[in-house]
Amino acid sequence: MIDEMLQALLRALSFGTPLLLACLGTLVNERAGVVNLGVEGMMALGALTAFSVATETESLWLAVALSLVAGALAALLHGFVTLTLRANAYVSGLALTMLGLGVSGLLGNRYEGAILLEPAPELPFTVAAGVLAVGLWAFLYATRPGLVLRSVGENPAAADVLGVSVGGVRYLAVAFGGALAGLAGAFLSLAYRPAWTDGMTAGLGWIAVALVIFVGWSPLRAVLGSLFFGLLYYLQFRLQDQSRVPTELFAAMPYLLVVGVLALAGLRRTQGSAPAALGKPYHRGER
Amino acid sequence: MKSPALWLVLLALSLAGSARAEDAKLKACFVYVGPVGDIGWSHAHDEARKLTMKALPWLETQYVESVPEGQALPVIDRLVKGGCQVVFTTSFGFMDQTLEAARKYPKVVFAHATGFKRAPNMATYMADFYQIYYLNGLMAGALTKTGKVGYVGAFPIPELKRHISAFAMGVRAVNPQATVNVKWISAWVSPVKAREAAEALMAEGNDVLAFTEDTATVVQVAGRKKVPSFAHYSPMQRFAPDFVVSGQLVHWEKIYIDFLSKVRNGTYAPGKLQEVDYWWLLREGAVEMGGQPGVPINPKFVDALKKAQMTVGGKQVSVHDRVQELLKDMSSSKPGFDPFTGPLQDRHGATRVPAGKTLTKEELNQMQWVAPGVTGPVADEPK
Amino acid sequence: MIRLEQEPRPRRAKVLGVYLGMGVVAFALTGGVFAAYGVSPWEVYRALLEGTLGERQGLAEVLRRTLPLLLIGGGLTLAFRVGFFNIGAEGQLLMGAVGGTAVALFLPPGALSLPLMFLAGAVTGGLWALPAAWLRSRVDVNEILTTLMLNAVASSFVLYLVSGPWRGEQVQGYTYTDAFPDAASLPVLGETLVHWPTGVLGVVVALALQVLLTRTSLGYALRVVGASPRAARYAGLPTQRVVLLTGLLSGGAAGLAGVGEVAGIHHRLLDPTQLSLGYGFTAIIVAWLARGHPALVLLTAPLMGVILAGGDLLKISFNMPFRVIDVFSGVLLFCLISGEALARYRVRWGR
Repeated sequence: MIDEMLQALLRALSFGTPLLLACLGTLVNERAGVVNLGVEGMMALGALTAFSVATETESLWLAVALSLVAGALAALLHGFVTLTLRANAYVSGLALTMLGLGVSGLLGNRYEGAILLEPAPELPFTVAAGVLAVGLWAFLYATRPGLVLRSVGENPAAADVLGVSVGGVRYLAVAFGGALAGLAGAFLSLAYRPAWTDGMTAGLGWIAVALVIFVGWSPLRAVLGSLFFGLLYYLQFRLQDQSRVPTELFAAMPYLLVVGVLALAGLRRTQGSAPAALGKPYHRGER
Repeated sequence: MKSPALWLVLLALSLAGSARAEDAKLKACFVYVGPVGDIGWSHAHDEARKLTMKALPWLETQYVESVPEGQALPVIDRLVKGGCQVVFTTSFGFMDQTLEAARKYPKVVFAHATGFKRAPNMATYMADFYQIYYLNGLMAGALTKTGKVGYVGAFPIPELKRHISAFAMGVRAVNPQATVNVKWISAWVSPVKAREAAEALMAEGNDVLAFTEDTATVVQVAGRKKVPSFAHYSPMQRFAPDFVVSGQLVHWEKIYIDFLSKVRNGTYAPGKLQEVDYWWLLREGAVEMGGQPGVPINPKFVDALKKAQMTVGGKQVSVHDRVQELLKDMSSSKPGFDPFTGPLQDRHGATRVPAGKTLTKEELNQMQWVAPGVTGPVADEPK
Repeated sequence: MIRLEQEPRPRRAKVLGVYLGMGVVAFALTGGVFAAYGVSPWEVYRALLEGTLGERQGLAEVLRRTLPLLLIGGGLTLAFRVGFFNIGAEGQLLMGAVGGTAVALFLPPGALSLPLMFLAGAVTGGLWALPAAWLRSRVDVNEILTTLMLNAVASSFVLYLVSGPWRGEQVQGYTYTDAFPDAASLPVLGETLVHWPTGVLGVVVALALQVLLTRTSLGYALRVVGASPRAARYAGLPTQRVVLLTGLLSGGAAGLAGVGEVAGIHHRLLDPTQLSLGYGFTAIIVAWLARGHPALVLLTAPLMGVILAGGDLLKISFNMPFRVIDVFSGVLLFCLISGEALARYRVRWGR
């Protein structure tokens, strides 16, 4: 029994790691008021970058570093289009998803079936994600830059008056979000399943986007949220033959439960609230 | 509409025609349901296409990857327009549209993999693994210490039911108490689901794994936990060199080369295909046992398999020898052994194959029951 | 330093110019991708144009790809106008297909089969959007999350049906239902797969939603709720009911598209990944390009239809990997939205 619970917890930690990483990144850029639905695309780019660099150079450190860069660059494209050009952020995010999946699938062709001689261990990623969650929590609520970040997302006009570069902060936050999505991808292709397959992100990016709302934009609740989802995902297989529910319907359980929990939280008014200026472009002198 | 272009085409055609007619190439086109990039089903067909090209110098080929099932007909339209004389459609879901295309283009030769509908110009073909699954099962039965063998399955369709059943029959031939525990992932390609399903199986005490999924995930996950596993479809031994025992490999090119040669020499002209149905197994070399070509059993496991004993006809033999013997028999021109020879019961005790009978190709293709020893939910199982 | 200043009423010529400019940029960028892949961009574009708009077969493919986009796009345009960000059209399409299939398989076939299938599909598709709309309007749960999650649930449900209770007798155990009776199959144009009644329905829905939005008092309420929920509340408009109705309408339209796909192309229910093909997401682009005017999807849906059919063509004629289509539409989309944004601004250099 203890063994089983421990195993389930381990699976939740492992599966939850990429979710937590991507979720934290998205959380930060949304806290700064920027919506980016392109997480799935950035994650795929990060996964391919990491895997290709790792196979070509055999340096895991470089692979991880460049996956961060790849994710950040992709996010900056989104930033440029939505922050500077002020195009629609939702559509831009969808475009980024297509582009990320498309480019990674196209360029990744030659890495299909390739083998990583030394796969990365999962633990460092998991620990890093956990530390990052706590760090972000402290950063957001106990430091001045954290306050600035939040104010940019809540009331950009006021932040602007106080001399904060709203655009600058938002660009930074978007890049950070992309970098973490890239890192989540690196975890997938270097550690979780050390190989490259087109479409290997399997919708995890979308789940991360959903999780941000689910956890009410709180880094600490993000830990619980991703563990919760990871646990459910594992349990759909672990409990497959132990209920009368048909297999295919059982697979819907994680998604249904997220909706259910959210509905309950909403009914009991315990849901976190979105940053007030989320998704709203800001430019000085305009309302 | 575009008369200059038309003239050019006519000119080109007449030029080509005046060149030696016997040099005319045969153009075969392949319609794949998945990407050729991964290492699964469509990839295997495409590797076979390349090998066929090498073997038949008069052959010209074209392929289209990731064709959704509803879109086969428009794709075939274009291919035929582009000069394809033979069209291979390689997914069950293409069946009805291939049939429609066969009616629409009576002079084109069609061949559909895995299906059961034919026409005067449409054949069917399949290379099947069930014999190898039985042999893999014998080895799995010898290697499991807990008596629990795990299986990650894609979809509960007849192909998987007969593979899992053959596998379970092999396992039980060595270890009559053992079970084959199945987890379904409802996907052909999903590394994430395959990993979590494999983890769940190992958590439940399964100490040998086999699977149907188009990536090497299960092999990798099992390798990390030092659990023996069996490769599926592609050479996956390299993903866990010390822990892949054996597996199943396919050689579609055996079928393609044979089929296209017969199209070329007129045996398979349109109108003569109504009864042409390839069901190629070990005997024809369309499938091979092993985790990589030429290695039927990973040398790392040979000793353990030689030590393991099983009873065959009242006599004790080593599992290794039994596997080799049956492999040789089923690869010969007149196989004497077939795993689906009666008397066989399903897992609920109903007789499915009476004594002295062997399941036919049609019965295997429609198999809905599963063999004793298989545990886990199986959709649409006769009760 | 680049600075942008708003230009509330840009000249039409400028808008057109910027769009065209960004179009050229898009084609140049994707041309680069093609060149990198070793194919001459000119040749690709020529083949694309000829193969989609220049010949009957190509045109048929464009139309076939347009049909579901027309229906879903019309509904989503309305939803976005009301501020209901429904990204669950994929699931609503699937559930619509389920509704239609239920009628086709379990009611006696007859002249009423097809109308009933569409009706059932609209109802099931609409109902599938309802929980999200209800949660959004009652307890302010974000609809992006709920509609997205319900996509996965719908997909599981279809899989359950085709591999369990609805599995066909004539499919030898594969995960399909039996084929629909002829009375439940849509007529097509000639030898193509263009199930034209779905197209007629799409045009009607787009125009009807346009009229609803601009010519009725209900439409006024919808627009006010979309523009400013707070103002709507002050004005005493039934915000909650407006959101529920929006969910029903957009989900219903997607449901119709689902019926079109099963009754027009597949003639059976099947694996959800083979059924929906991402139309629910592509339609978001269609709807966004339509800028709040459902009737405009009559232009934007065919535009995306050309891109999808063009992508198929690249796969066939140039043997390009299927991911080329994603790159192509991603780049095009980026350029289009940037162009749209740029047209509204004046670029100023320096401070």
